[in-house]
Amino acid sequence: MYLYLPVALTSINILIPIGLGLAVGLLSGLFGVGGGFLMTPLLIMCGIPSTVAAATDSNQIVAASTSGTYAHWKVGNVDFKMGLYLLAGGFLGGLLGVQGIKILRAMGNADFVIKITYVLMLGIVGVYMFFESLSSMRGKKSKSDAADKESTVGAFLKSLPLQTHFEKSGVTHSVLVPVTLGCLVGILAAIMGVGGGFLMVPIMFYLLRMPMHVIVGTSLFQILFTCIEVTFLQAYTNHTVDFTLAVLLLLGSTVGAQVGAVFGRKLKGEQLKILLAAIVLLVTVKIIFDLTLPPSLLLSEPGGH
Amino acid sequence: MRYSMSANRIITIFKLMALCLVPLFIDNAYAELTANANHDQIKIDFFYHGSTIALGGVSDPKTDLIIKVSSQEGHQVMREKGKVGGFLWMNVGELKLEHVPAMYFIHSTKKIEDIITPEDMNKYVLGYSALERHVEMNPISNGEEKTKWFGEFVKFKEASKLYDTSSGNIEFTNKDGKQNYYILRQWPFQAPPGNYTVTVYAVKDKKITEIATKNILVEQVGLVKSLATMARSNGALYGIISILAALAAGFGVGIIFRKSGGAH
Repeated sequence: MYLYLPVALTSINILIPIGLGLAVGLLSGLFGVGGGFLMTPLLIMCGIPSTVAAATDSNQIVAASTSGTYAHWKVGNVDFKMGLYLLAGGFLGGLLGVQGIKILRAMGNADFVIKITYVLMLGIVGVYMFFESLSSMRGKKSKSDAADKESTVGAFLKSLPLQTHFEKSGVTHSVLVPVTLGCLVGILAAIMGVGGGFLMVPIMFYLLRMPMHVIVGTSLFQILFTCIEVTFLQAYTNHTVDFTLAVLLLLGSTVGAQVGAVFGRKLKGEQLKILLAAIVLLVTVKIIFDLTLPPSLLLSEPGGH
Repeated sequence: MRYSMSANRIITIFKLMALCLVPLFIDNAYAELTANANHDQIKIDFFYHGSTIALGGVSDPKTDLIIKVSSQEGHQVMREKGKVGGFLWMNVGELKLEHVPAMYFIHSTKKIEDIITPEDMNKYVLGYSALERHVEMNPISNGEEKTKWFGEFVKFKEASKLYDTSSGNIEFTNKDGKQNYYILRQWPFQAPPGNYTVTVYAVKDKKITEIATKNILVEQVGLVKSLATMARSNGALYGIISILAALAAGFGVGIIFRKSGGAH
């Protein structure tokens, strides 16, 4: 059955967005990522204009992350205090990143910087997480062993002022740490045009030393607010949110997020990490192919990547 | 003498009557070109997935036909992909096009180049080569570059099902001494709402002898129209409703799963 999308100005088989929503919502509930880095290109492949795909994806992530946050909150896996500090940094980083993009566009090499940042960030995060998780699983090291391992970075973080205890995560950090890290992810997310969940999750694990299950819930909580802001701005300034498409996507993604949260609790932290690393690496390989293989069409509509 | 004058009058009357009958015979020989469509309005509702449109009319049997279906001309901006550093394909700039239709279909009885002069092709913008000359593109440094990027533009539009050309697909039937032409074509759902024109050109001895037109209006109706209008004219409210609906859906599904024990 086909449905016409009033803002995208195209018609789509309703099973496609519901199926995509279900698959990406599952990842969202499992790993605490919004899934924008997967969903937006998939929607463009289905004929949705790139500007509408990106904006509408933000709208459906609001639903998926609400559903996921609710599921994780009910079992006590959301650190609201940490989430709010990360969020504050993220908003600041978003503003800085948008200015950065303007400068890059004026210099005429924005697309090159965006693509290279994308590949490097995904590649580094994916490779590091994959091999670290693999060695942890082989060495039978538990998540808490890894978290307890002190490092130079850890010692430096502990020396910073404004230390506070994050009860839910069981860690103590300076307030400056989550705000600065949130800001860095916000800058990169704004430059790359994505929510940044796939960067935030490893940062929470490796630098903030949070337990993996609390990371997923807290990341979804933060993504929820980021996507509310993006949805409103896209609807208000660009008029590119397609409500009909968002409803079809969220029909799948809200259910997928719940199923993902259930599966997530049955997997160990290391298993979750290695699965996320594998997905991030697959996306990286896909982007490298897109960058190096000649495209079938040399022209595209403005917007998106 | 009187008889002779009466005979002359009768002959003159007959001549006048014969003159009056001439157009009737001409009408049969050169039927006036008409253009019709089975729809002059295409309504877009939630279940719209494109339409099928039958174009037809009456034409002179001794003429060839060219049928052009196009939207109003406008401005379009595209992003150009190119190689960076010798091996990376990415967006390298923008291509601005002026006087370009969003949709452009050409159907003819024979290849356009074989039935009309290049002058008439350009004058009436018939065929991709004429459209290329008609469209303004920027930034373009020479004719070769224009041909390359216009070719890419046509590839993009054909992939979106918005540009198409064909020859030899117009069907003819003869009835009551008149020739009727007919072509059935898909109206793509990708065609945006707006005014479209079907123009039929009759061609004889490489010259366009007659032109007939028919207008088709494509418009959104009902809830589709309300949502599209709200998104355009009241973005803030539209955004808030979209967010609230997403929050409600997220919580709703969360509560359903919790009640059904899914989250445990």
